[in-house]
Amino acid sequence: MKLPASPPPGPFRRSFWRSPIRGPWLTSVFGLVLLLSIPVMFVTGLLSYAAYNPDLSPVNDLTPGKGLLGLYLFSWPTHPVWLYRLNQGVHVTLGLALVSILLFKLWSVLPKLFEWPPLRSPAHALERLSLFLLVGGAVFEFVTGILNIQTWYKFPGSFYPLHFYGAWVFMAGFVVHVALKLPAMIRALRSRSLIQELRTNLARTRPEPPEAGSLVAAAPAEPTISRRGVLAFAGAGSALIALLSVGQSLGGSLRRTALLAPHGQDVSSGYGDFQINQTAASARIRPTETGAAWRLTLGSDTQVSSVPVVLRRADLLRMAQHTASLPIACVEGWSTDDQAWTGVRLRDLARLAGVPRPSSVLVKSLERGGAFRQAVLSEGQIMNPDSLLALRVNGTDLSPDHGYPARVIVPANPGVHNTKWVASLTFRS
Amino acid sequence: MRRFLRWYGASPLHLLTLLGCFALAGYAATELLPNNAVGILVWLVGAVIGHDLILMPLYTLADRSAMAVFRHRPPKLPAVPWINYLRVPAALSGMLLLIWFPLILRLPARFPATTTLSLDPYLWHWLAVTGALFLLSAAALAWRLRTGRRGVRKGRRGVRQGHGTRT
Repeated sequence: MKLPASPPPGPFRRSFWRSPIRGPWLTSVFGLVLLLSIPVMFVTGLLSYAAYNPDLSPVNDLTPGKGLLGLYLFSWPTHPVWLYRLNQGVHVTLGLALVSILLFKLWSVLPKLFEWPPLRSPAHALERLSLFLLVGGAVFEFVTGILNIQTWYKFPGSFYPLHFYGAWVFMAGFVVHVALKLPAMIRALRSRSLIQELRTNLARTRPEPPEAGSLVAAAPAEPTISRRGVLAFAGAGSALIALLSVGQSLGGSLRRTALLAPHGQDVSSGYGDFQINQTAASARIRPTETGAAWRLTLGSDTQVSSVPVVLRRADLLRMAQHTASLPIACVEGWSTDDQAWTGVRLRDLARLAGVPRPSSVLVKSLERGGAFRQAVLSEGQIMNPDSLLALRVNGTDLSPDHGYPARVIVPANPGVHNTKWVASLTFRS
Repeated sequence: MRRFLRWYGASPLHLLTLLGCFALAGYAATELLPNNAVGILVWLVGAVIGHDLILMPLYTLADRSAMAVFRHRPPKLPAVPWINYLRVPAALSGMLLLIWFPLILRLPARFPATTTLSLDPYLWHWLAVTGALFLLSAAALAWRLRTGRRGVRKGRRGVRQGHGTRT
């Protein structure tokens, strides 16, 4: 089938697109913002992935087929204690703020979708296929991330593999797009002075020259907004979104400013309480399991015949208690201020289990379901003096929702790896 | 080489870059797709169609309709780009809805039981922010009209005519 040489009526004709401010310069400004921000999103995303220590144990690995994509992995550090909090605050807040820039960028290049002829050459066909990965991948990553932080799990599978592998598909499209378009972007940015544009009001706004490229309208309409106006518009969108959500990551009295963010509601009500990810009831923890009948089992792999150490909560309270000020930081981007956790050091429990130099520990919860009913912690995480099996927080016993009778708290650890309602610790040498 | 250029339409480096991209995307996709190939492809295609062929035409149509409707209304429209005072708050409010519609429409049913947080405030917060945006915008327009009129009186240097007629 041969396509007509002249485009059919509608968006395939250049005269259909009338915006007097669309053009390579404006697109390149949005492109530059994304060029600087998307790598930050990618790196913070990869760091968050590394924070789960997926290489340490199959228990931690939600993407066992990652192969080469996990080559960069390293043992996640415990210093500084706010590392994961900062990483996720940046990843989520920046991602939300970029929605505005992404929408403006896509608006600015929309005529390209209706290019005529649709496929000029094999090169053009392949490039358009890569753009499908770029745009499809970008929207896929933003939508899965944004739905996940609202706990509306409507995406086609488990969040972790979707968002992780989806990111690599998106980055493949992103890198090739940057490689192919960078010269054009630099040329376009040099074609006009940003300072001059910021001084140009609506009355003096003129379209970019037609020879600048196909994004420039052939028959531009009268402008209704200046280029600086559009930049301010996009920036205001980003700023508004960020200001209405960053409070959930900053915590303290600023939490209430997060009017549109899942964890912007203040739960402290004067009792020093703080945000939680999952209640005991929703994890189906029965009160009978956490009462007087609760026992902590300390196991080890040193001797096959070794008898596990079984402790009551009172036994744990009689051991040396240590207090550490540590935040809870969730992969969803919200976090709490430092809380004063009191309990037994994990390394003391390792010694009690007969493994003074553990290489890892398997922490199991009373939870019966869910991907995070167990987690494996690394040697560095066990040996940190602030890593605790916490029994109390902020001067009182843990509440059921915070993990009573005992929970793990490790500096800079992703929230879901600070296992609540701990049933057993199995140390490996 | 010339034959390759004529057939392919770009340099071999272009081809190599793209093949590298597809190799990486393909490698990731072999792990991504087995989870739920149909669902994920529907999502990827849906993402492009949803934005390019649904969301974008809708907001363009809304923008053009607003301009068409108000242009023919007496009294005569002010000679400032008034459409921006409608377009900006509407778009910002729309973006917030686009991001937070699950919470605003109270869709994640298990959220309160899981987090002890209420789903009630988000709709009201969104409405309040939307109201504030339109109020601010109205105040800005009023200010602009006042200063604009003063400008006209001073030296008839007023704001350029004809704004807000077309995109």
